[in-house]
Amino acid sequence: MKRLRGIVAKYLPVSVIVLVFLWSIVAIALYRAAQAPPGAIVLRIGHWQLEASVREMFEEMADAYREINPNVHIVQDAIPEMVYAQWATTQLMGGTAPDILQVGGMIPYHLLVQYYNRYMVPLTPYVNDPNPYNEGTSLEGVPLRSTFKDGMRSSYVEEMQEYISIPLSQFGVRIFYNRDLLKQLTGLDEAPTEYRAFLEACREIEQHRNDKNQPYVAIASSRYHLPMWENMLMDPLTYGIKRVADFNRDGFVSNDELYVAFKTGRITFDHPSIRLRFQMLWEISKHFQTGYTGLTRDEAVFLFAQQRAVFMTTGTWDARSLQEQADGKFNVGVMDFPRPLPDDPVYGEVMEGPQYERVLGGFPFSIVRTSKHPEVALDFLMFLAGKEQNEKLNRIIGWIPSVVDTELDPLLKAFEPHLRGVYGNFNIFLGGETWIKWLQMYSQFQIHQISYEDMRAEFEPFYIKHGLKDLEEQQKDWRRGMVNNEQFLAGIRARAMHAEGAEAQSFWIKYRSLTASRQIWPEISRARQMKLVEIGPDLGAVGPYEYSPEVLDRIRARLTEDDTDSTVGRVPDPASSQ
Amino acid sequence: MNELQGARIQMRVFCLIVFPVVLSALLSACSDRATYASPDEALQDGWRYYTLGEHQASIRAFEFAYETADRDSLLYAQAAYGLGVVWQLRRPNEDVLLASRYYDEVIALRPDHDLAAWSMLAQGRILHLVPVGETPDYDAVRAAYQRVIETFPNHIAGHEAFVYYHATYAATLEPEDAAQSLEALEAFLEQYPDSPFTSAVWSLKAVCYETLRMPEKRLHAEIKAFETAEIDPENPFQDHAWRYWTLATVAEFDAGDFDTARHYYRRLIEEYPTDIRIYASEQALERMDRTEARLRAAQQPETQP
Repeated sequence: MKRLRGIVAKYLPVSVIVLVFLWSIVAIALYRAAQAPPGAIVLRIGHWQLEASVREMFEEMADAYREINPNVHIVQDAIPEMVYAQWATTQLMGGTAPDILQVGGMIPYHLLVQYYNRYMVPLTPYVNDPNPYNEGTSLEGVPLRSTFKDGMRSSYVEEMQEYISIPLSQFGVRIFYNRDLLKQLTGLDEAPTEYRAFLEACREIEQHRNDKNQPYVAIASSRYHLPMWENMLMDPLTYGIKRVADFNRDGFVSNDELYVAFKTGRITFDHPSIRLRFQMLWEISKHFQTGYTGLTRDEAVFLFAQQRAVFMTTGTWDARSLQEQADGKFNVGVMDFPRPLPDDPVYGEVMEGPQYERVLGGFPFSIVRTSKHPEVALDFLMFLAGKEQNEKLNRIIGWIPSVVDTELDPLLKAFEPHLRGVYGNFNIFLGGETWIKWLQMYSQFQIHQISYEDMRAEFEPFYIKHGLKDLEEQQKDWRRGMVNNEQFLAGIRARAMHAEGAEAQSFWIKYRSLTASRQIWPEISRARQMKLVEIGPDLGAVGPYEYSPEVLDRIRARLTEDDTDSTVGRVPDPASSQ
Repeated sequence: MNELQGARIQMRVFCLIVFPVVLSALLSACSDRATYASPDEALQDGWRYYTLGEHQASIRAFEFAYETADRDSLLYAQAAYGLGVVWQLRRPNEDVLLASRYYDEVIALRPDHDLAAWSMLAQGRILHLVPVGETPDYDAVRAAYQRVIETFPNHIAGHEAFVYYHATYAATLEPEDAAQSLEALEAFLEQYPDSPFTSAVWSLKAVCYETLRMPEKRLHAEIKAFETAEIDPENPFQDHAWRYWTLATVAEFDAGDFDTARHYYRRLIEEYPTDIRIYASEQALERMDRTEARLRAAQQPETQP
């Protein structure tokens, strides 16, 4: 008995471990068998969209796909956003990643490029072929690349010179509002899209209290939501800075150009574009709930869903879940950001147009190299990217299709991007001390603890004094970037040297164009940049978008020449005399 | 006592047989030396590892080819070139001196081969791409490029070296350097009108004209650079929108050539309807119309806010 007890004591821990291990093997085998019958092709798809509608969509699309491919079963791995990067990394490194993986967002870009390179199947050979699932539709015979609204720009990884993913949706940001509450509190059927009327509606809303005697909040906001207001409404006011500071005239004001403009006194915080951008933030944020900068996204959504707030800005990704939360309680409306009119007494002078929105595909998926069935994975992605299927899957989720010529959910019509418009040019980011100082001052301004004048008085001299050091520090990245470029150029050159025919030609073109764009011109651009910073612009020169007296003389001479020519019978080019 | 003896025997068996076997298996798995069926296979793997950023594995593969290939064979030179590239460009733990020795070996063994041209260019790049915080010794850099240009005047590496060489002068933004480079750039275009670097040379000319404040010649050079640019049809980022914008704004604000400016603003609007600069291009077309109308009426053009 004693001996038996000894044996049990000796081997019990090992036995328990072995039994648990065997049990887990059996459990996993049974679980997998329940997901797909033996002999079936199982495709696993990993993503971080925990929204119910996304999982439903994949279930439904998998069923539809199985109707034409009965032996293919799709299994989802829906992983929370918080751990997605770690999960994807371990799965990829361990060789156990799903066949298809959602890529982007959660993983830092420099790592993502390495993951693409090591673990993903390049899709470049397929982008110029038609998608077979578009047969019989208006996109039949159209190259895959051209069937996407963004031309698959978002899928192209420049560092690899390869297409690496297929985008399944498109996103946009607008203002959602509680139609019923708006009507009840302001008498308005539609939300005002003119800035002054919008502010008036906000003030009216705040006059009311609910049946628990709680005041209504006009706009539910948080630290998550503030950048959307800034980007869509306030930053476009700074478009005009380019006329003063876009020294290289590329259409954008880079951080060094803005710094030079400040340093040389060409611009100050008194410039109307800058002053009014912050004035608008001050006005709008008065209508956010108290302490919004300390609140999270969910807290703002909660306020909106509880019908304590009328407006909330967010993106298409929240559209369906907001509709579901409002279902049976109130009607959700979507509106564009309220813009001042061109004759607005305050903002009219700097409001030049709507915010430009770049069309970029999102919700991108790649095929993992370790997939046992890469051809089936590709076929399933093609299926999801087919015109009708893409329309259907986005209808289920409540998002915008990424494929051209598709129908939108009526709620999402307001998300059609503005392709003609202006954009922000207040690029104050130089890193280092000036950025820390800016964050300190700006965060106080956001909650109305300091005025614009106080913020300006403390930040502007600091920025001018310390900006050069921060800029120089930032410039070191340029030299590191040159080495990285040289690394991948050597790889492309090697591929070109080992390839033949058209493939070799393509690699050589890539090599030469990248050599010029990455290694030759940046050195000259940087020289211009540093000269600008150290010496400043030619003080006698006109602004980058102005005509100098010499240029005006040339224009006058050409006009005289044209007028003379036309009087002697020359037919003017109609295209040049609009 | 017997149990104790049994345990001792088990321990001896483990120490004498199992442990050495497991250890040797582990060591062989971690061996620094790769094994391939042929140097050719090793070379392919070397480049594959290089593109994956696995520099140590890449070096092992190239070393295998380097050590097993016949010294007179092309494979040997290819392996030496591969080792040069990895030691030059791996980060961290690069060794540019070692890289340069491999390049020297390639040049000595195959002086007329492509690999010698690329090796010589790489030696110039080593001098040019100095560590962060250091300034290149431009005299040495130019001498290295000049060597490639003179040794391989008809090779693409020689043409690339030519562009790098003159880019070092263009980047000074000094009128004397620009004037000096212009002569050489013009001579190059006459001698090599079909060089794949023609567009880059025209662009360098445009930079020089900009430095020399010759806007009409700059505009002409920019247009030639655009017309001669190679296009990779697979790359969606290689669009012409930014080129159209540059040509249009140089024509409008530097050359005062509104016809050319209109031409390129319109092409941008028509060919790239989703580009971010569309709105600005439309504004520009209206601005030029207003400016011409005011100048015809002998008025000053409107001032910018």
